[in-house]
Amino acid sequence: MSFRSGLRATPTIYKVAFSEAIAYRAEMIVWALSSSMPFVMLAMWSAVAADGPVGRFTAAGFGAYFLCTFIVRQLTGAWVAWQMNFEVRTGVMSMRLLRPVHPIWHFGVENAAYLPMRIAVSLPIAVILLVVLGRDAVSSSTLMWGMWLLAVVGAWWINFLASAAVGTLSLYMEQSIRVMDVWFLLYSLFSGYLIPVELFPGWIRPAIEWLPFRFIIDVPVQIMTGAVTVEEGAQLLLGQWTWVGVFLAVTLLLWKSGLKRFGAYGG
Amino acid sequence: MISVRDLRKHYRVHQRQAGLLAAVRSVFSRPTRLVKAVDGIDFEIPAGARVGFLGPNGAGKTTTLKVLSGLLHPTSGEVSVMGHEPRRREDAFLKRIMLVMGQKQQLLWDLPPAETFELNRAIYGVSMPQFRRTLKELDDALELGELVRKPTRQLSLGERMKCELAAALIHRPSVLFLDEPTIGLDVSMQVILRRFIKRYNEETGATLILTSHDMDDVAALCPRVVVIDKGRLSFDGPLTALVRKVRPEKRLVLELSAETPDAALEDLGRVVEREPGRVVLQVDQDQVHHTISRALAQLPVSDLTVEGAPLEEVMSELFARSRADREGESAAAGGEGAR
Amino acid sequence: MLRYLRLFGIQIRASLLLVLQYRADFLLDAVLSLVGPLTALVPLWVVFEQSDHLAGWSFPESLLVLGWFMLLQGILEGAINPSLTTVVEHIRKGTLDFVLIKPADAQFLVSTAKFLPARGINIVAAIGVFAWSFAEMGRTPSAWGLVQAFILLLTATLLLYSLWILTISLAFYVVRVDNLTYLFTALFDAARWPSSVFRGVWGILFTFVIPLALMTTWPSVAMLGNLGNSALVGGILGALAFSAVARGIWMLSLAKYTSASS
Repeated sequence: MSFRSGLRATPTIYKVAFSEAIAYRAEMIVWALSSSMPFVMLAMWSAVAADGPVGRFTAAGFGAYFLCTFIVRQLTGAWVAWQMNFEVRTGVMSMRLLRPVHPIWHFGVENAAYLPMRIAVSLPIAVILLVVLGRDAVSSSTLMWGMWLLAVVGAWWINFLASAAVGTLSLYMEQSIRVMDVWFLLYSLFSGYLIPVELFPGWIRPAIEWLPFRFIIDVPVQIMTGAVTVEEGAQLLLGQWTWVGVFLAVTLLLWKSGLKRFGAYGG
Repeated sequence: MISVRDLRKHYRVHQRQAGLLAAVRSVFSRPTRLVKAVDGIDFEIPAGARVGFLGPNGAGKTTTLKVLSGLLHPTSGEVSVMGHEPRRREDAFLKRIMLVMGQKQQLLWDLPPAETFELNRAIYGVSMPQFRRTLKELDDALELGELVRKPTRQLSLGERMKCELAAALIHRPSVLFLDEPTIGLDVSMQVILRRFIKRYNEETGATLILTSHDMDDVAALCPRVVVIDKGRLSFDGPLTALVRKVRPEKRLVLELSAETPDAALEDLGRVVEREPGRVVLQVDQDQVHHTISRALAQLPVSDLTVEGAPLEEVMSELFARSRADREGESAAAGGEGAR
Repeated sequence: MLRYLRLFGIQIRASLLLVLQYRADFLLDAVLSLVGPLTALVPLWVVFEQSDHLAGWSFPESLLVLGWFMLLQGILEGAINPSLTTVVEHIRKGTLDFVLIKPADAQFLVSTAKFLPARGINIVAAIGVFAWSFAEMGRTPSAWGLVQAFILLLTATLLLYSLWILTISLAFYVVRVDNLTYLFTALFDAARWPSSVFRGVWGILFTFVIPLALMTTWPSVAMLGNLGNSALVGGILGALAFSAVARGIWMLSLAKYTSASS
């Protein structure tokens, strides 16, 4: 059965994808550099906070926020949308469909195989965070860190599934790359990546807080900087995992009907 | 007009092994090794000649082709094509050569071939009247018709190669480099292309250099062959001389009208194929006459054909021999090293 | 020279033909191009909800910088990016040899390979932002300021282009190149902010190493009538020097280029 053989193959898929991830040293550097956006934003917001705190954020507060943003982004990054688009265009997707492993699971394992490398990259940043900003910058409650782990896993799932959903669009249309660009734009704006969600003006904030984006970056960062209480954290986690469920359903459905269409046109 | 002296092309490549541990290790240190793609080659090709570069995969044929066209800089050696040094990539040089690669195309993918023709016309500075004349000739010879107005991605592989060839000849190059041009094409298309290429050479006096693994290409197009193996020249001369040197035997194909015991056949020569009613015998060149008369006298022969050995066999024999020679060399060297 | 002009015309024609052939894509592209400029305003707007100045720049002044950012982004995504990414495709498919064997400068050929006219929307949006900014300030730009700004537009385009040439030259050394274009876009994003925001190391990085300041902040300063002529000359010389360096590195990279297998 496809599920069982997929499970059995998983460790090997992981190992091979990991080797691939570290195969090209230059790429690792390029890629680490391209996730530097949070530092640019840090510089910018620090300049704004130079004359006085913005909301509850002092310059140091922004420092903690964006360093944590960088870390969370490393741990939850997903690029499967581009990967899928590429594979559909070059015909490699057809080969993937021949295998007795569910392609979405396959992509997921490959994506996860990049985590060790990404953790290695974010570790120095985490150290800098603690050394420069002091231990108060992050939460000191073990319960919080437990919740944080859950939040990061949830964030990873939402990001991956959403990226997979957008990638599935390439089974429907050739120009899905543009959709991906729009998705990424909205993601960077509303997830907390460029702007802490709480700094958005009051009338638009509720809308943003309902969107899935903020559960990817903002929620884990809030938890790890100790900006929320345990009750608030639990509520956020609930919201987050609801979105995980929603995306799981949406992505699998999109994939199923996308495959039918793909098969009808011969790929 | 093409002159190559002691050409060498060496690359440094990273060594990579499989396995998780090796992958992690490669993040920190990476051994390299030197690949000698071309290791001392000399030859001269006069204008208007048709020459085939033969050799096993990875022998250095395509590398040599790329050095001759100026795409790769040689590590050392002297190369001269029509009096130019290819590596300097002078406009005057580039306007007189062209490269055609099988399975890869220069045609713009989403637009009709006609657009690529137009682009090449502008790049090579072909005058409008000359352009129209050349197009008409190409259209007649290759039967392009409506193909040039359909987007390239809608054409089949054979149709694409025809248009690709046309695009390559818009500026009437004097030297044409062809790298596996008929690979993947069906038999009739291969014949069409071969005939066209030969005609181009005969009518314009252009020099043709072809690399191919397809022996039918070689047989049809290349009276002279240069065999490259592991970066070195192992033969340079007429194709017929190569065949005679490597496999000087001829084949006799006999159709038999009655049952014949194998012993009688083995008496005449080496049996390479045996089916009821048909046998193929391999005999030395000088024995052919004698064997034919004996066969006609002794056997119930209804039909008889004399053939040369198939080129594929000649080639694999040649490569096998040179491989054995090299193994012998390295064994001897290894033995000396151990001492 | 004339030959290259003619070639340029033909390349543009090929791109236009392509765009007209896929009309549905062009429409989708145009609609999606609107999202860029609209969302570009959001970060700036959030900042100015919280404060009334940013590193010494007022809201309308910061709008100018944003406008220049949108303008250059339009040029980047409409003219520079699409062409140079064809190099990446060529390397992947092994067809760069066809470019190199032509008797025309390889850098020119790959730089004019593809244009996306839909990105013209960015340019229109940018002009709209300029108009808005000056309306907020209740004044108009000086004539000389506009001339300076136009000259700086040319130098900014030259700089952007040279930066891209450098990035693409990397493609000859790096095996998987998709990340490069992403890297470029990520770094360029810092240009939407007035350069005085970046201090210390960041300041040095974004003024001299990747001269974003020159591309968006200086033209804005020019439009406000505050750019000294010596700065203008410095900017022009700097851009020319930068493009010479980029060309040199491109030539070096080409020389190192070895075709990926046969």
